[in-house]
Amino acid sequence: MMKVCINPEMVIVNGKVLSHQEKGSALLTKLYRTYIGDYPKFFKMDTLSKLGFVASELLLQAENAERFVPREDRAVVFFNRSASLQADTTYQATIQDPDNFFPSPAAFVYTLPNIVTGEIAIRNKYFGETSFIVLPERDPSIMAQQLQNAFQDPMTQSILGGWLDCTDENHFEAELTLIFKS
Amino acid sequence: MDELIYTLKQQIIETLNLEDMTPEDIDENASLFGEGLGLDSIDALELIVLMEKNYGIKLQDPNQGKEIFKSVAVIADYIAKNRTK
Repeated sequence: MMKVCINPEMVIVNGKVLSHQEKGSALLTKLYRTYIGDYPKFFKMDTLSKLGFVASELLLQAENAERFVPREDRAVVFFNRSASLQADTTYQATIQDPDNFFPSPAAFVYTLPNIVTGEIAIRNKYFGETSFIVLPERDPSIMAQQLQNAFQDPMTQSILGGWLDCTDENHFEAELTLIFKS
Repeated sequence: MDELIYTLKQQIIETLNLEDMTPEDIDENASLFGEGLGLDSIDALELIVLMEKNYGIKLQDPNQGKEIFKSVAVIADYIAKNRTK
């Protein structure tokens, strides 16, 4: 099973560690510049979306299948426990001070966790289901059940899914896999 | 005016996270949207916030924005004539 794990200090693609000196969000930028580099919108994303974007790119590059062809048979299903906390905090900072009240539209658009599933679907031309499920804690049994449920849609033949959590630029965790209908 | 244009370019790069760009990379007469800098609708909203936050200019009419945000030079000209700070 193809798998990508990213935390602020380490990146593992299919069991192989990718060595980089950068940590935290700087690591995500380094991964973008090293392995992707053709999607300037990356720099406008919140950290959760950057994390999901980079992790999905590494995973799909490892899949080595034809890309950017419109398809309806692949779903994107993510889970976490922090929703869009980092983006929420960033946005709140723009409205906290009554004397400096300038709500940021660019920060506001990321104040939902499922924005990252949209970013990935747009990038890859996926027209299947996209879901982002927020759980009280990471629960493998609930996650497995939800992924199984996604296959109830007869159109869905594979899922790009897994855990994608971020509380700030230095605390995040991605563990994404490609799951195929058996 | 040249100084205002340069400052505005810096603010646009910083506000819109135009990574890897410098003020010199931006043609002040080029279109900001579409084929120019390729900005989108969220960027347009951020430009409205930038105008109010840095220059005290409130844009109420969206159609006004269409005209003002044609290029950096047009924005700078509008700021020079209407700024309150």
